[in-house]
Amino acid sequence: MQITINNQVIEVHEGETLIEVARRAGIELPSMCYAKGAKHKSSCMVCVVKNVQTGQMIPSCSTLPTEGMVIDTQSEEVLKLRQLSLELLLSDHRADCEAPCSIVCPKGLDVEHLLWLYDAGRLAEARSFLAATFPLDQLGCADCKAPCEKACRRGTVDKAVQIRAIIQSLAERADLPLLPEVAPHAADKRSFISKLGRFTPKEKEWLKETIDAPSRCLHCACPGHTDCKLRRYTTEAGIKRPRYEVSSALPVKEKIHVNGRLWYEPAKCIRCGLCVYNSDNGFTFERRGFIMQVVIPEENRPNAPERLATLCPTGALFLTE
Amino acid sequence: MACADCKQNGLQTKEAMIARVDAIIDRVGRSRRVIIPLLQALQAEFSYLPSDALQRVYERTEIDRAQMISVSTFYAQFRHIPYGRHIIKVCTGTACHVKGANNVYDAFRRELNMDEETITTADQQYSIEKIACLGCCALAPVVQIDEKIFGHVQPGRVKEVLDEFQQYAQEQEAQAADEAKEPPIGEVRLGMENCCQASGTAAIYQAVLDASHELGIKVAIKPVSCVGACNQVPLIDVALPDGSIERYPNVKPEEIKEILLHHFKPANRLRRWKNALLNQVDMFHTDTTWDNILWKSEQERTGTINTFLSRQKRISTEGYGIISPLDIDEYMAHEGFAALEKAVTTMPRQAVIDTILQSGLRGRGGGGFPTGRKWSLVAATDKAEKYVICNGDEGDPGAFMDRILLESYPLRVIEGMIIAGYAVGARKGIFYIRAEYPQAVIRTRKAIELCREKGLLGENLFGSDFSFDITIFEGAGAFVCGEETALIASIEGQRGFPRQRPPYPAVEGLFGCPTLINNVETLSQISYIIRHGAEAYRTIGTEKSPGTKVFALAGKVCHGGLIEVPMGTTLNQIIEDIGGGVEGGEKLKAVQTGGPSGGCIPAELCDAPVDFDALTRMGAIMGSGGMVVLSESSCMVDVARYFLSFTCQESCGKCTFCRVGIRRMLDILDRLCTGKGSMEDIDKLEELAISIKQMALCGLGKTAPNPVLSTLKYFREEYEEHVKGICRTGTCKEMVKLEITEECVGCTKCAKACPSDAIPYTPYARHQIEVEKCVLCGLCIDECSYNAIRKVALKS
Repeated sequence: MQITINNQVIEVHEGETLIEVARRAGIELPSMCYAKGAKHKSSCMVCVVKNVQTGQMIPSCSTLPTEGMVIDTQSEEVLKLRQLSLELLLSDHRADCEAPCSIVCPKGLDVEHLLWLYDAGRLAEARSFLAATFPLDQLGCADCKAPCEKACRRGTVDKAVQIRAIIQSLAERADLPLLPEVAPHAADKRSFISKLGRFTPKEKEWLKETIDAPSRCLHCACPGHTDCKLRRYTTEAGIKRPRYEVSSALPVKEKIHVNGRLWYEPAKCIRCGLCVYNSDNGFTFERRGFIMQVVIPEENRPNAPERLATLCPTGALFLTE
Repeated sequence: MACADCKQNGLQTKEAMIARVDAIIDRVGRSRRVIIPLLQALQAEFSYLPSDALQRVYERTEIDRAQMISVSTFYAQFRHIPYGRHIIKVCTGTACHVKGANNVYDAFRRELNMDEETITTADQQYSIEKIACLGCCALAPVVQIDEKIFGHVQPGRVKEVLDEFQQYAQEQEAQAADEAKEPPIGEVRLGMENCCQASGTAAIYQAVLDASHELGIKVAIKPVSCVGACNQVPLIDVALPDGSIERYPNVKPEEIKEILLHHFKPANRLRRWKNALLNQVDMFHTDTTWDNILWKSEQERTGTINTFLSRQKRISTEGYGIISPLDIDEYMAHEGFAALEKAVTTMPRQAVIDTILQSGLRGRGGGGFPTGRKWSLVAATDKAEKYVICNGDEGDPGAFMDRILLESYPLRVIEGMIIAGYAVGARKGIFYIRAEYPQAVIRTRKAIELCREKGLLGENLFGSDFSFDITIFEGAGAFVCGEETALIASIEGQRGFPRQRPPYPAVEGLFGCPTLINNVETLSQISYIIRHGAEAYRTIGTEKSPGTKVFALAGKVCHGGLIEVPMGTTLNQIIEDIGGGVEGGEKLKAVQTGGPSGGCIPAELCDAPVDFDALTRMGAIMGSGGMVVLSESSCMVDVARYFLSFTCQESCGKCTFCRVGIRRMLDILDRLCTGKGSMEDIDKLEELAISIKQMALCGLGKTAPNPVLSTLKYFREEYEEHVKGICRTGTCKEMVKLEITEECVGCTKCAKACPSDAIPYTPYARHQIEVEKCVLCGLCIDECSYNAIRKVALKS
């Protein structure tokens, strides 16, 4: 069987869906709810293409080709709709890609990462990370107006994390060895950055009660920020600011320990269902429509395989080190 | 000491509960497929789904926790927390909405002192919920408390309704034991559909009982099918021993005695009539079949009803008011099952399909796909196992055609289904009926039994090699399950997620087998076509849309009800000649057809003949046939918002554009209706609407923007006015306030009526409304005898 994609005639292999045909022919198509070799059902619509003969917009990830089909993957019309599907997903995505403190640091310190090491009790690594960014005897923070503390989300809850004080105390710990293998890095500011927005009064109460890390940091940065498809495609589509106001029915900042190294943060879920379809009596959908959530009841947590973290297109499912 | 007792009691009750759960599991089954019927049975037993019961389900069946959560939270029917003793369901269907259902809901909450968070009263007596549509649109606003339905409930009547219900509940308990009686000398027939009940048929029933007791006139009371004159109810027919009938529309309880005395003499003098008369005593609201005298036909009917009914042509509702829903002999005497016999005994399968093809019949469920083509597709597959499903999941708010067809003409639908089964080579039929229609389920179930008894279902029908049987599946409250692939998923025991087509159900449907899915009304047209032939059928209706269409006429129209008209009748004819014009002498503004998937047709286009293609051209759709009349005082932005909030709630959540996109459209509409919108919002709304139409994965999502697109097309200026903060009809609460004019004489009635104490009590002086306290319920307007209170725009 042969089909035409963007004026290119391509031979179809038995059982292939459109996206597989296209990708084999070197035509790039984004997709989130689809993963090769995993059970999936079309939902995200990021992979949409146009059936030129019928004028219909179809998800390429689950449509089987028919003889003589003519497909368009790159016209402006298609790209615009693809962009809209990303924007809609982002409007329901109350989460930060990068921590506000790390974004604003004029010296390029990934503040959140530092605090993360600090909260994990890995003080030597923390001190080494700091030292890799600027000399410990000449702290960049000394004459800085601390935009990090002004940007700190904790500040909107009660009081900002005392970032400079923590840095100072780390610098002074001469007893901690400096580890040469720790390399510096900064927040990725070239990629698209999703923003969480404001907390509701209820959420503030909840955060005050539950977050008890030594630094009091909320750890805004997404653990999946480096391999998030939502972020990647949004960046590639050139979206700077999504046009729709963000509001979501999902609980913000709730992190659930599934099992072993596997964690789940519902606020980042795009409800594609890959984790539902690929776990047996593990993850499941709850309710319907806009308030639909993916949940995992306590009893089912042992049933979720670690592999799900790699299937998840966003940072909703992630593995800890 | 007491604690030990408690503990033991607790154990006992838990054990007793487990035993009850086990009995249900043994009855219903253990496979994953049966989850919905199983949960329905559990809820019927415990009134909600207790977690102990679910735990037992995990232990004893194949159903696991993931499936349980997924399914039980998807369908609106299932409750996970106990409710109060009585459940108040406030209908928020389209007709009820345009007549102020939200105010009624708020009024109940106020009356019952419920705070914002709860849905159950502190004493656990009442729980309240909004329900998509009770299907009694002609009597809007409608409220149902337990099984009892109340029509025309205005906010001011709420207390009265609760009192009436309490009295009724007490009487029900007291009225357990009753008399054994002598045979009746006459028969009184009254409609017992939801609408008739809501209009007070129950009171009439009671009056007939009382009168017959008091006067010693023994009459049988027979429930009959809907005559479609829902605006004329309560309506009774008195059948006399000589076979003649007198009809009394709009009858009041106090008139009953007179009516009975007029027709019948007390029993002792009329023993001689006894034997000529039929059945035993009143089987109120039951489904006993009656072996009754023949009904006289239509010319017997009185004036107004004649006008209401005369323009109509009856195919699906043939024999209305004549045929008792469950009298199979009567149905057969009126050519019932003649078509089935003709098909099975004289026509090859292909000939049946050809007849349907030639008739040009198009599916009445929404899209208007040619029924014959669907049949051919299913017939063409050579798999041995095939299914026929009758789609009775009528979820559109503002539509009640399927309910009435199933309640009143179940045998005709069954006949259509068996013929379909014969034509496509299926052996199994399934009725999918929404659980909100208990009466339809009961009647259909009974009708199936009757057919089995008569040998019309079962093995080797009419001595042929064709065998067919039918079961019923009750839907659990999800609008999306009207979509055929979602409907199949729900029968298979899954969430009602639609899936991509192709493969179409005709090729790969229920349990992977070829499946024919036809709507209730479509099937009810089949027997006529087979009996009279394709040619005769084509003479009715228009060329591209032959036949008749059943509509549920409701909203701001004088006579609402179920109507059946030939395709091609114009909307104006329907509204003026059948519906008696717009209510209250107002001007017609638009007609909404097709429910949440349809659109609004402006008054100036209402002389267009109604058929599938004309409606689609105008931006609406035929849909299943809900027809809501909107007058000058209806706000079109509010109507659009109403439908969007319905689809938003009913979206299954699978694809991005429906789940998030519709929510974003609703956000914009919310802003517009509260005066916070901008002109840019209107453009965004339009862009989203067009994109969702292209990108949603199923029919529900693709058509969800229609109410917005059609109102934007014809009533854009109203959207623009809303941006400026003006709602010309005063519907959008945030843009209006109430004002007391100089006409006020200071009678204090409004001050007493105000539920939120927004009107200080100032006798003999002009009253004032404190705007910040006012909840805009409009009670004061209803109360005022001097027309001194009016809604005015906050801005102008």
